[in-house]
Amino acid sequence: MAVAPAGEAVVRLRGLLKRYAARVAVDGVDLCVQRGRMHGLIGPDGAGKSSLMKIVAGVLTHDGGTVEVFGQAIASERDAERVKQRIGLMPQGLGQNLYAELSIEENIDFFARLRGVDEQALAARKRQLLAMTRLERFRDRPMKKLSGGMKQKLGLVCTLIHEPELIILDEPTTGVDPVSRRDFWAILDELVSVRGLTALVSTAYMDEAARFATATMMLGGRVLAEGTPAELLAALPATVVSVKCREQVEAQRRLGASFRDTILRGPWLRTVVDAVPGEDAPARARSAEARVREALAGLAIEALDVDAPDLEDLFIARAASAGVAAARFAPAPAPAKRMERTHAPDYNAIEARGLVRQFGDFRAVDQVSFTVKPGEIFGLLGANGAGKTTVIKMLNGIQPPNAGSGAVAGADMIRAPGQIKRRIGYMSQAFSLYLDMTVRENLRLFAAIYGVPRARRDERVRELMRLCDIEGIEDMLAGDLPMGRRQRLALACALVHEPEVVFLDEPTSGVDPVGRRRFWDILFRLARHEGVALLITTHYMSEAEQCDHISLLYAGRVVADASPEQLKAELAGRRGELWAFDTPTPQATVKALQAAGFAGASLYGTAVHVLDPDGATLPARVAGVLAPLGLQAGPPHRRPLTMEDVFVERVLELEREAAQ
Amino acid sequence: MKLVRAMVVARKEWQEIRRDRLFLALCLVVPVVLMLLFGYGLSLDVENIPFAVVDHDDTPASRDYASHFSDSRYFDFRGRLADEGAIDRLVAANALRAVLVIPPGFGRDLAAGRSVRVQTVIDGTFPVRAMTMRGYVLAINAQASTGIALEWARAATGADERSLAALAQPVRLETRNLYNQPLRSVWSMAPKLIMVILMIAPPFLTVLGVVREKESGSIFNIYASTVSKAEFLLGKLVPYVVISLFNALLLFLLARYLFGAPFKGDPLFFALATAMYVVCTTGIGLVISVLVRTQTAAMVVVAIVTVVPAALYSGAIIPIESLSPAAAGVAHLLPAMYYAQVATGSFLKGVGWPVLWPNLLVLAGYAALLMAAGYLLFSKRPRT
Repeated sequence: MAVAPAGEAVVRLRGLLKRYAARVAVDGVDLCVQRGRMHGLIGPDGAGKSSLMKIVAGVLTHDGGTVEVFGQAIASERDAERVKQRIGLMPQGLGQNLYAELSIEENIDFFARLRGVDEQALAARKRQLLAMTRLERFRDRPMKKLSGGMKQKLGLVCTLIHEPELIILDEPTTGVDPVSRRDFWAILDELVSVRGLTALVSTAYMDEAARFATATMMLGGRVLAEGTPAELLAALPATVVSVKCREQVEAQRRLGASFRDTILRGPWLRTVVDAVPGEDAPARARSAEARVREALAGLAIEALDVDAPDLEDLFIARAASAGVAAARFAPAPAPAKRMERTHAPDYNAIEARGLVRQFGDFRAVDQVSFTVKPGEIFGLLGANGAGKTTVIKMLNGIQPPNAGSGAVAGADMIRAPGQIKRRIGYMSQAFSLYLDMTVRENLRLFAAIYGVPRARRDERVRELMRLCDIEGIEDMLAGDLPMGRRQRLALACALVHEPEVVFLDEPTSGVDPVGRRRFWDILFRLARHEGVALLITTHYMSEAEQCDHISLLYAGRVVADASPEQLKAELAGRRGELWAFDTPTPQATVKALQAAGFAGASLYGTAVHVLDPDGATLPARVAGVLAPLGLQAGPPHRRPLTMEDVFVERVLELEREAAQ
Repeated sequence: MKLVRAMVVARKEWQEIRRDRLFLALCLVVPVVLMLLFGYGLSLDVENIPFAVVDHDDTPASRDYASHFSDSRYFDFRGRLADEGAIDRLVAANALRAVLVIPPGFGRDLAAGRSVRVQTVIDGTFPVRAMTMRGYVLAINAQASTGIALEWARAATGADERSLAALAQPVRLETRNLYNQPLRSVWSMAPKLIMVILMIAPPFLTVLGVVREKESGSIFNIYASTVSKAEFLLGKLVPYVVISLFNALLLFLLARYLFGAPFKGDPLFFALATAMYVVCTTGIGLVISVLVRTQTAAMVVVAIVTVVPAALYSGAIIPIESLSPAAAGVAHLLPAMYYAQVATGSFLKGVGWPVLWPNLLVLAGYAALLMAAGYLLFSKRPRT
C-alpha cells in the first residue's frame, strides 16, 4: 500500500447538505480528514453522522456542497465507483450488515471475493486479521451465534479484507460491552498507527471522543465543535465542582438556580461553573469553588471536589449556545405534595434472590440477587445479551424464573405477578407510545388503561406534564416530538398510576446528552421527592455514575454490586489509581508497558492509561521501561476512575480466573 | 461484467437460503400447497346439489317425474318435505340448494292430457352456480316432458316409439367437447394454476431476498463495493429463478399426475415459455424491491400487483372474451394472459411453436423490459 505523506486530506467536505424530504439531516458541514488519522464524529442519534459517512462512502447522494475523497470530487454514481475500492464501510447496527446464516470464514470470503481479492492474498490476510481479532478459533461458527463484541470484530475484518486506505465505521461500539469496546479500540489504534490507515469513526458516547486524534461534535446536522480532544476541552473555560451535601434536594435547587448545568451523581451534586472572562486556570478553580460555596451558604457541605470539565460538558455547553436544544434546566420545582409512603426500615422495593433463567442449554440469568430501597436509583448494567432484560421480565412477573424468588413493591413475583403489574411502571426502549395521538391523548389513554379514577384523570395528567417537563406541548402529536421529549412523555405514561417502583429499560438510548440530563433530573425528582424506587438499565457507562447503587451483569451473573463510589474506591485500593501519560509513540509505549506488567495499560488516543498504586515512583518506573527502548512519555496525570474502568477490570479478572 | 463476481453473490445467496430453514420451506412448500389447495378447492363443477322434493300430489306419476331429478348425478336427493314452509330455512342454512315443488293433482291432470306446472326453487346466491343449476333443471324437465309426450302420442296413435321420437325431436343435438372431453374443470384449472402460482411465488421470493438486505443494511456492502449493478442483480436473482424453475417442474408434475390433466403439447416449448415467464415474474419482484424499503410493504405490493391480475385478468377463471373491453385491454397488457394461453395450449390443445410463438415473444419482451427497469431503477448511490 502506497502511503502518501501525512497531512494530505483524504476526505474534504465543504458546506455539505443532505435533505430527506423536508428534513435537513446534514446542514452545511465542513470537514477535513487527514491521511493516517483517526477522526471521530461524535453526536447523538439524528445528528447527521450516518448520512455524512454514507455520503463519503459514495453510497448516498447529497443535495449541496462538495465532497472530495482521495482528491476525487464525488458528484455521481460513476465518480463514487472510482474510489470505492480504496474505501471500507461498516454501516451502523451491530452485525447488521453481516450474513447471519454464514460462518465467520464464509462472511470474510464473501466480502473478499466481492472486492475481487485473489485467493492467495485472501488466505494470508484472513489468517492475519483473524489472529489480530482473536476470532481464529471461531472460524466455522455461524455469525448469528456470535456475541456482540465478536460480531463487531468480524464486521471490522470484513471491512478490512480488501485493504482499503480509508475505513468508515458507523457507531462500531454502540451496544457492545466495555471490555470488547476497549479491545476494539486497541485493534483500531494499531491499524491506524501501524498500517497508516485513515479512519472516520462515529460514536454516540461522548467519553469515547478522547480516543480520536481529531474529532467533530455534531448535533442537528451541524458542527458544534471540532479539534483534537485537548483543543476541544480547552474550548470550554469552565470548572466542575462536585459537592456532597446532606440536604441534597435543597442544594440541588440552589445550584440549579445559580448555574447552567447541575446533575446528581449518587450522593454528589456535580455543577459546571462557567469561568468569568479573564481568569487564568488556578484562579478559575478557586473562584468556581467560592461561588458554589456562596450558593450553598447555610448548608452543611460534607465534601467538595474540583475537576476539569469533560467532553459531555462541552457538548452540552455548545448545544445550549447553538440554541439547538434548550439546555438550561428549569430548577426542580418544589414537590407538589410529598408522597407519604411509610415502610418498615428493612423494606425493599425490589428484592431478587438467586434468580435463574435457562433457555435450552443457555443460562441467560445465573443466580442474580440484589435489593433496591424506596427512593433509590438502581442501575443494572451490562452489554447486550448480558441478561438485563430477562431479569426485568422476571421481576415484572412476565417470565417465571427457573429458580430463585423475589418481590416487587411488596408483592411476590411468583405468587402475585398480577399485583406487581398494577404497582409498577414500565418504560421500554421502544417507548411504546401512540405516535398519531397527541401528548394529552396518550396520557389520558394510559390513565384509563391503568384504571386511574375518571375524576382524578385530568388532575393527574396535569401533574405529570409538570413533573416530566412537557407542559406547553399538550396538543402536539407524539410522533412529531423530538426524541428527548418523546422519552419524557413515555416516562409520564409509565407514571400515570403513581407506581412505587418504576422499571426503565435503556430509556436513554438514542437521546442526546442534553435530553439525557433533563431526563435524569426528572428521575431524581421521582426518587428524592416522591420516594419511588427506580431500576434502570443503560449501556452508557457515564450514566452509571449517576445511580445510587449498581449491579454489573456479565454473562448472566452479577459481577459487582455496590455504589459507584464504593466500586471505584475498591478498584483504587486493589489495583491503584488511574494515571495518564501523553506520548508521541502511543502504540509502542503501551506495548512496552503491557509487556513490563503494568496493570491495565491501555491506549486512549495519544495517551496511555495505567492503574498504579504508587504515583510517586511511577514516572521513574515508567522511564525505566521506556528509556532502553528509546521511547518517551510525559509526566503522569492522575485521572478519576470511571465505571468503565471498574467494569473492564472486573471482567478481565473473571476471565483470568476462568482461564486458570 | 465479470461472471465470477455474479457467482460470488449467487453462491452467498444460495448458502443463506439453504441454511435458513424457514425460508427454504417457504420457497419449496408454499407453491405446492397452493397448487393442492386451489386444485381441490377451486373446482367449478356443479355436482351433488343438495336437493329435496315437496310432493303435494304423491302419485306414481309425480314420483316418477321427481325421480328424473333425484337419479341424476347432478342432484343429491336429501328427502321429501311435507310443505313449502321449511324451504326458506333449509336453503338459508345451506342444507338445500334446489327444491322441486309438485302441485296437487299433478298425476290426474297429466292423465287427463292437461299440461301442468311444477316449481323449482333455486339458491341464487352465486349467479354462476344458479345458472348452471337452472340449466340442469331445464334439461331434466325437457327430457321428462318429452317422455311423457311420447307416452301420450303412443297411447293416442299406437305408432312405434322410434318414429314418434323422430317426430318429437326432428333435430338431435350431439356435442363433443374438444380438448377436455369430460369437461373436468380440474383439467383446465391445473395448467392455469401453474400460471397463477408462478405469477405470485417468484416475486415473493425475490422481494424477500432483496428487501431483506435493504432492511438489515447489508445492502451497503454491495453499495460500498466495486461490484457492478449487473453483477449484483444477476447473482442475486439467479438463485431465485432456479428455485422457481424447480417449483415449476413440481407444479407440472402435480398437474399431470395428481390432477391427471393430459399434456399434449411440445415439452421443450412449454419449458422454454415457462422459463421466460419465471424470469418475467422474477423481474416484477425486482422492480418492486427496488422501489420499496420494508419487507412488509414489499409483500403487500407483490400481493396486489400479482394476485389480482393473475386471478382476474388472465383468463384463469373468467374467459378473456367475457371481460369488459376495458378489462380485456388490461389483460392484454399483462403477461399472465399470454402464459395462460401457453399453459392451456400445451396441456389441453397440444399446440406449440406454430401457434404460440407470439406469446413466447411477448413474454421474452416483458422479461427484458422488467429486468431493464430493475437495472435502471437500482442505484448504488441512492437518495435515501
